Amino acid sequence: MEIPLLVQPLVILFSTAVLTPLIDIVGKQAKAEKIRDIFAIAGFLAAFYSLMNLYWAISSTGPQTYILGTFGVPAGGVQLTADLLSVYMALIFCGIGLLVAIYSVRYMEVDSGLDKYYALLLTLVAGMIGVAFSGDFFNLYVFWEIMCISSYTLVSFRKYRWEPVEAGFKYLVMSTVGSLLALYAISLLYGFTGTVNLKQLSTMVSSGQISASPLSLYFTIGMIITGFGVTASMVPLHTWLPDAHPAAPSSISAMLSGVVIKTGVYAICRSLFTIFSPASFDYGTVLMIFGILTMTVANLMALMQRDIKRLLAYSSIVNIGYILTGVGIGAYALSHYSSSPKLATPIAIFALMGAMFHILNHAIGKGLLFLCSGCFVHEAKTRDIPELEGIGRKMTWTGTSLSIGLLALAGVPPLSGFWSKLFIILAGFSLPEDSFMKSISILVVFNSIFAASYYLWLMQRIMLKEPKPKIAGAVEAPASMLLPIVILAALTVAIGIWPGGIISLAESAGRALLGG
Amino acid sequence: MVEPWQLYVAAASAAIIIGIYGVASKRNMLKTIIGIEIITSSIGLNFLALGSRGEIADPLAQSMVVVSMAIGACVAAVALSIMINVFRHYGSLDLRKLRRLRW
Repeated sequence: MEIPLLVQPLVILFSTAVLTPLIDIVGKQAKAEKIRDIFAIAGFLAAFYSLMNLYWAISSTGPQTYILGTFGVPAGGVQLTADLLSVYMALIFCGIGLLVAIYSVRYMEVDSGLDKYYALLLTLVAGMIGVAFSGDFFNLYVFWEIMCISSYTLVSFRKYRWEPVEAGFKYLVMSTVGSLLALYAISLLYGFTGTVNLKQLSTMVSSGQISASPLSLYFTIGMIITGFGVTASMVPLHTWLPDAHPAAPSSISAMLSGVVIKTGVYAICRSLFTIFSPASFDYGTVLMIFGILTMTVANLMALMQRDIKRLLAYSSIVNIGYILTGVGIGAYALSHYSSSPKLATPIAIFALMGAMFHILNHAIGKGLLFLCSGCFVHEAKTRDIPELEGIGRKMTWTGTSLSIGLLALAGVPPLSGFWSKLFIILAGFSLPEDSFMKSISILVVFNSIFAASYYLWLMQRIMLKEPKPKIAGAVEAPASMLLPIVILAALTVAIGIWPGGIISLAESAGRALLGG
Repeated sequence: MVEPWQLYVAAASAAIIIGIYGVASKRNMLKTIIGIEIITSSIGLNFLALGSRGEIADPLAQSMVVVSMAIGACVAAVALSIMINVFRHYGSLDLRKLRRLRW
C-alpha cells in the first residue's frame, strides 16, 4: 500500500520516534550507542525529503487533502490539508529540527536518557507539522497537544537541577490553560455551526447562516487569540518564556524559540484568517496593538538581562511582536478598506509576506543564536554575560556566526532580517492618509532601532573584549556542533543577498493564508 | 423556555471559571493541577451539551471529548511527574517556594 504524500512526513517522524528507544537498546548491546542519534537524524532527513516532494507536488497541482476518517456529511471528519503556507511552515519546522538533531549528537552526549530525548524531539517536530497540516480543529488540537506535551517534557529534561523543573511547571500550567481556552473557543464554534472543519466553518460564518451574534463571535476570536497567544508568547501572556527557554538544554531552546512559538502565530493566523474573513471582522487592530505592546515590553526587559540565554529569549518575544504586527497590518488593511479591495489586497499580501518572511528569518537567526550560546555554555559552563566576555575570540567560528546572527536580527543590510523588517514597515507606510497604521509603523521603527542597540552591545561584549582568565581554556566546539551553526549562518547571509526566491515563496504563503 | 442543554452550557462556563480561579489562586501544586483538570472536564461537558441538541447526540462531539480526556490524562501525568521532581528539590509543594526564577 502506498502512503499518500501528505501523510508521509508524519508517518516517518512518528515511526522514527517509536523506534528510537528500540534502536537504542540494540545499540547499547552492540556497544554502538551513537546509532540511535544517526537513526533519529536519518528520520529527520527522510521527513525533510518527503516534505520537499510534497512542496513540488503542491506548487504544481495545488493544495492537497487527505481524509483520515469521517463522521458523515455535516461534521466533516478528520482531514489533513496542505497548501503552500502549511508546507512552508512545515519545511521550516523540519529543517530546524534536523539541524538541532545534528547539534545534539555532541551537545547532549553527557546526559542520560537520550533515547527519550530523540523520541521527544521527533514527536515535537511531528506535532508541529501536524498543526500546520490540519484541516480541522479536531486534529489541530490533538497535534497541538502532542507538540506541547513534548516541549514540557523537553524543557524539564535535566530534572536533576532545580531550574528546568521549576520553569517546566510554570510553562506547563500557563500553556495548558492557554490550550484549554483555545479548546473552549473550538467548542463554542462547534456549538454555533455543528462542525469543526475549517473550510465548512469558513463558509458558514461568512454566509451568515449561523445563530450567533457578532458579540459572541468576537468573544470566540478573543478566546482563540488568548489561547494560542500563550504559546506564541504575546505580552502579557509571555511570562513563561524567559524562564522556560533558558532552562531547557540549548538545542531545545533553539527549537522552542525558533519554531514552537511560531506554531502559536500560525494557529492564530490560520484559524482567524480562514474562519473569520478579515473584511467583516476587525481583529487586525487588536493584533497590531498587542504586537506593539509585545515588542516594547520585551525590548525594555531585554536590556536588564545579564544571562545570555534570557536576553535571547526576550529578543524572541520582540520578534513575535514584529510578526504579529505584520499580520495585524494585513488584517487591518483588509477590514478598514474593505470597500476598495483593489487597494487593500496588495497591502495585505505585502504585510503578510513580510510576516511570513520574518517567521523564516527569525527561525534561522534565533536558532543560530541559541546554538552558538549553547557552544559557549558547553565550553565556559556559565550563562553570565560578564563572565563570557571575549569568548568569541577564543572560539572564532562560533563567535563569527553569533555576530552574523545578531546583525541579521538587528536588521543590518544585506543580512536576512533587514528585508523582512523592511517589508513590514513599508506595508505600514503604504497608506499615508491612515495615521493609525503610520504611527504603528513608526513605533516598529523605533523598536527595531532600540533592539539593535542591545544586539550590538552583546556582540561587543562577546567579540571585542579581552577574554577573562576564567575562560582562557575555552576551545572551539566540535565539528558536528559547528556544522549546523555554519549552515544557519550561511543561510542568513545567502537569504540576505539573494532574497528573491524566498520572497516569492513567502508571498505565495501569504496568498494561501488569504485563501488563494 | 430554558432547554436542558442550555443549563449544561451555563454550568460548564461556571466550572471553567472555577477552574481558572483554582489555577490562579491556589498555592499548592496539586490543587493547581486539579484546577487544570476541572477546566478540561468542563470543556468536555460544554462539547457534550452542545452536541446533544438535536434528535440524536452528535458523534463528533463525543469523539472530541474522548480524545480531549485522553490528552488531559497525558498532561496530568506530565504535570504530576514534574511535581514529584519539585518535591525532591524543595521538599514542599508550595508554589511560593518556587520563586527562585526572576521575572
